[in-house]
Amino acid sequence: MAEPFIRIESIVKQYVRDTQVLTVLDGLSLSVEEGDFVALMGPSGSGKTTLLNLIAGIDKPTSGRIAVGKSEVSSMSEAALARYRSENIGFIFQLYNLVPVLTAFENVELPLLLTKMSRAQRRKQVELALSIVGLADRMDHYPRQLSGGQEQRVAIARAIATDPKVLVADEPTGDLDAKSGEEILILLERLNDEFKKTIVMVTHDPRAASRAHRLVHLDKGVLKEDIRAEGREVGLEAARSAVVS
Amino acid sequence: MKLIPLAFKNILRKKTRSILTMASIVLPLFVICILGTMIRTLEADPTGGKGMFRLIVRHKVSLANFFPEAYREPVKQMPGVAAITILNWFGGQYIDNQPRNMFQRFAVEPESFLAVADEITIVEGTAQDWTSDRRGVLVGSLLAKRYGWKIGDQFVLKGDIFPVNLELTVRAIFKAPDETSVYFNRTYVEESVPWAKGLVGTLWIKADSPDAVARLTRMIDERFENTPYPTKTETEKEFQNGFISMLGNVKLVLNAISLAIGLVILLIAANTMAMTARERVTEIAVLRTLGFPKSDILTMVLAESLILALIGGGLGLAFFSLMFPGFRQGLLESPMGGFAAGMKLFPEVLIVGFLITLAIGLAAGLVPAFRSAQREITDGLRQVA
Repeated sequence: MAEPFIRIESIVKQYVRDTQVLTVLDGLSLSVEEGDFVALMGPSGSGKTTLLNLIAGIDKPTSGRIAVGKSEVSSMSEAALARYRSENIGFIFQLYNLVPVLTAFENVELPLLLTKMSRAQRRKQVELALSIVGLADRMDHYPRQLSGGQEQRVAIARAIATDPKVLVADEPTGDLDAKSGEEILILLERLNDEFKKTIVMVTHDPRAASRAHRLVHLDKGVLKEDIRAEGREVGLEAARSAVVS
Repeated sequence: MKLIPLAFKNILRKKTRSILTMASIVLPLFVICILGTMIRTLEADPTGGKGMFRLIVRHKVSLANFFPEAYREPVKQMPGVAAITILNWFGGQYIDNQPRNMFQRFAVEPESFLAVADEITIVEGTAQDWTSDRRGVLVGSLLAKRYGWKIGDQFVLKGDIFPVNLELTVRAIFKAPDETSVYFNRTYVEESVPWAKGLVGTLWIKADSPDAVARLTRMIDERFENTPYPTKTETEKEFQNGFISMLGNVKLVLNAISLAIGLVILLIAANTMAMTARERVTEIAVLRTLGFPKSDILTMVLAESLILALIGGGLGLAFFSLMFPGFRQGLLESPMGGFAAGMKLFPEVLIVGFLITLAIGLAAGLVPAFRSAQREITDGLRQVA
């Protein structure tokens, strides 16, 4: 049997605030298959975003092991982690976090500046990413000239520009109206189905979580519930029950 | 280096703040360059090197004391003396004692004077016209321009040290590094003031080589050491520095002011960079999330600071270069005209101005750049801009 793509083993993450030690993740273990679409749910402070950050390589565990593909993320140096993020991870933020002084094109081009691509190759790649998210005609627009939904689509184009294997999304619909949120979820589903991206998404929204293939419910830093979809999606009922419980 | 274009765009993000910060560099740098030029002028040789070969002999006690004219002959015989002349400070008053009418007035021996003051070029009239007229006066072209003097014009100098009113006729106009002096025949003074006959304020000597300069300095003073009128011999440069030292440590004061201004610019630029970096904590965290290493972030923030400082500094230096001729002209027409005559656009002042700008750019950006690069990504992402 093939090894899972994301392997999290007995992860502990603690923060020290003054003299107090705060345990955010407490010996959590989790595996995610390649091409899976996982929703992380749980109340505030349950450790969802911390887990996402650890998978993305922007934070380090206090103890335990995280491996993504062939990368031993938990034991990497700062420089290696930066390289790992640029090559393997696409990050989607709740507040889009586009650079306001750059156009949509330039924002999407940012992660490609870390590759060895020529200017022409970069242009081609940016145009492709923007066309996937349906914004090929807005590439010269600045973030302030775009709606919230469009900004998030540009952010998704930026996340997929380097063709990473994993997309991590932190409340990607949290700042959007229902219609725009729905468009983003359709886009994420397409990236998962069509482009075989492994997606790990943190959300409070049962509607968003229902579109995932798997729902992982955290509470107080431990895995409380792990629901796998019987069909294509987890479904709204299961997602709602995870929120209630 | 990949984020340098972003550094340029970041400067345009808050245009008003960037413009104000640049302006806060432009004007103080202009003042620093003016002060630097003054310091450099104090250090420079206004004779363009010719003063290196000139020695000035005066009374050991002070310039206000005279010594006998008889000293000239033994000095003239010393090996290494190419030319020698007498030059007495006349003082006096032209029109009134207002600062605008202050300029240097000297009673000299016309024939030998031009051999020693060989940086002087007569541009109107002739040396012969001047030397042959006992009441003739040789005037600097700047003074001639200021007062509208032409060849043949007459003016009166009212004496104070020497109680005589000299009625002088302009016989020649000269160009030289210092064009704010007048020279007339000392015989005219001596004939009008009998007690002044045979008294010398300074002897000016032109040496024939650098070796002779050092040798003569020692020889002359030793020759008159045990006389009632001991002398002090020094190079023209040392002589001028003696005047400057009478004003106190001017260079130290000017340097201190320049340093204070430089520190103020640094604080303003550092404040701007700190604000800029603070406002973009989240954005910088996002760049690092995308995979940009710390070194790229450090370079970007530092580049922003440098670009801002260099644009401000470049404008400041350009402004100074443009304004300098007018500034110098204004000084030339003031009582500081003699000093301003030695002022010029010194390349080293512009280079130091550029280096100050560079240092300010680096120093102002260093702390915000390190902080931005070192901040944990998760802390940056948590911060709401």
